[in-house]
Amino acid sequence: MNPADLQLGLPSPRELTGFRIWDSYFTPSHAHPGPNGGDRLMTDIERSLPAIRKGRFEKLCLFPHVGIGTTSDAAFEKTARAKPNLVLRPFKRWPKLLLGMIQLNPNDVRASLDALNRWLRDGPMLGVYFPGGGPGSLTCTHKNFEPLIKRIAELKGVIMQHTWNKTGGKHGPGESTPAELATVAARFPEQRFICAHAGGEWQRGLRAVRATPNILVETSGFDATAGFIEMAVRELGPRRIVFGSHLPSRSLGTELAKVTAAQIPATAKKRILGQNYRTLLGLNN
Amino acid sequence: MMTRRQLLQAGAVAALAANAHAADAPLKIIDTNLSLFRWPFRRLPLDDADALVKKMRALGITQGWAGSFEAILHRDISSVNQRLADACATRPLLRPIGAVNPTLPGWRADLRQCAERFKMAGIRLHPSYHDYTLADPRFSELLRLATKAKLFVQIAAAMEDPRTQHPRLRAPDVDLAPLPKALRDIVDARVQILNLRPRGAHLELLGKIPSLRLDTARVESTDGVPALCKRLPGRVLFGTHAPLLIPEAALIRTHESAQLDGPTLRALLAGNATTFLTA
Repeated sequence: MNPADLQLGLPSPRELTGFRIWDSYFTPSHAHPGPNGGDRLMTDIERSLPAIRKGRFEKLCLFPHVGIGTTSDAAFEKTARAKPNLVLRPFKRWPKLLLGMIQLNPNDVRASLDALNRWLRDGPMLGVYFPGGGPGSLTCTHKNFEPLIKRIAELKGVIMQHTWNKTGGKHGPGESTPAELATVAARFPEQRFICAHAGGEWQRGLRAVRATPNILVETSGFDATAGFIEMAVRELGPRRIVFGSHLPSRSLGTELAKVTAAQIPATAKKRILGQNYRTLLGLNN
Repeated sequence: MMTRRQLLQAGAVAALAANAHAADAPLKIIDTNLSLFRWPFRRLPLDDADALVKKMRALGITQGWAGSFEAILHRDISSVNQRLADACATRPLLRPIGAVNPTLPGWRADLRQCAERFKMAGIRLHPSYHDYTLADPRFSELLRLATKAKLFVQIAAAMEDPRTQHPRLRAPDVDLAPLPKALRDIVDARVQILNLRPRGAHLELLGKIPSLRLDTARVESTDGVPALCKRLPGRVLFGTHAPLLIPEAALIRTHESAQLDGPTLRALLAGNATTFLTA
């Protein structure tokens, strides 16, 4: 037995390749890229590579900090603003593997609008990520989101909004729930939103976004609870679900098995694991 | 007659052959953390015992230690254990792990029943749902009696992420801090913690109790399981927490980072459980 060749719990390599997996939620050093403007980020990506290869992923989307106050490290923020090449470091090292969506800071609308021009209008980023914690977090129903969403819509960007429904209530003032995202999304019917983690407690989360067709749900960020994908397909249909890995802080096992082991047709798995995300990004060729 | 050199060479060849044989032997997988019957809060794709066993076989799992979801909220524990024993009796892949709730009158009889009538190998405890702490003297007594009856004890540190629990039925993760004191005078106790998401304080505590085992069901990060195996050699037992969690998830986690060598992986998947069972 060679442990490197094991496929325990996984579909065959051929099936995995056939799924054409695009990961919408890759989170190496998600809260802070580490010293020297990103050393920990690079190490964390390297740490994820065995699982990425094992899962036969084609692409992964990460969420860089671009110096607009999404970390509490003033020195890093200044460096990231002054040296945009630092932000691009992982994309230059793994150009075929990585996609990016910048972390926005709705607490600083002016800086966020500037960042949208710098990174979304001028490229290479494809959308934005609104965090649920840290100094860049703000509940998505806040009025500050209005001008940002309008601008993102003009630039045809994708919005990934962190969401969680926590029993007992929010753990931080900047958190958002799927119900709050549904309220916002209803005001922008032409804009597509991704409800990250499907709200964590997904039975409530799926119901909250069910009647808002411009919201898709993302699959990572909670235990490999059985029945999630089956309910999501039943309630939303297979076109409104996108796969996320949350690597490396979560495992390939937890996140990929949610989809590959679900009792749904193979065509639906293929949609969820990559096709829907490519469609959303306009890269479905 | 063989010379000493020939004898040594023959021995080396035999040892090599034995190692090669071990490396090629069929992989045994023991899932130390299964449950039967209905999860109280929703239906699960594999909450039918036959469907669960079929899935286990398909995944190459050769033995499953099964508790009962009924034990979480039911008070008629003897009938819970009876149904579990009956379900396992007709499904040879499953070994029943009985429930004991030391806050109920007559719990010592339940314990005796698990050992003597049902011939169970171990019991599973749910302190958070049964509303006691590990500092409770009844827990110490239970540990002592279980050990005397040659039963191992599984403690479910959690069943579900507290953030996703039903708002009217919230059960915090079990505080493991009193364990060293509870175990101090019970040298032969065999205890496994289930569903633990190990953090710094847990690892420190695990370091203080070398006999304590844990399972892999909720160990996260891409290299979390190998890291734990390295830190606690021989003490990590494979467990899926199926059917609440998807069993494939725990299996993939054992090899996704390609960090464990063959012998360590075999020990994780079955050897450590066998040692624990027969200790």
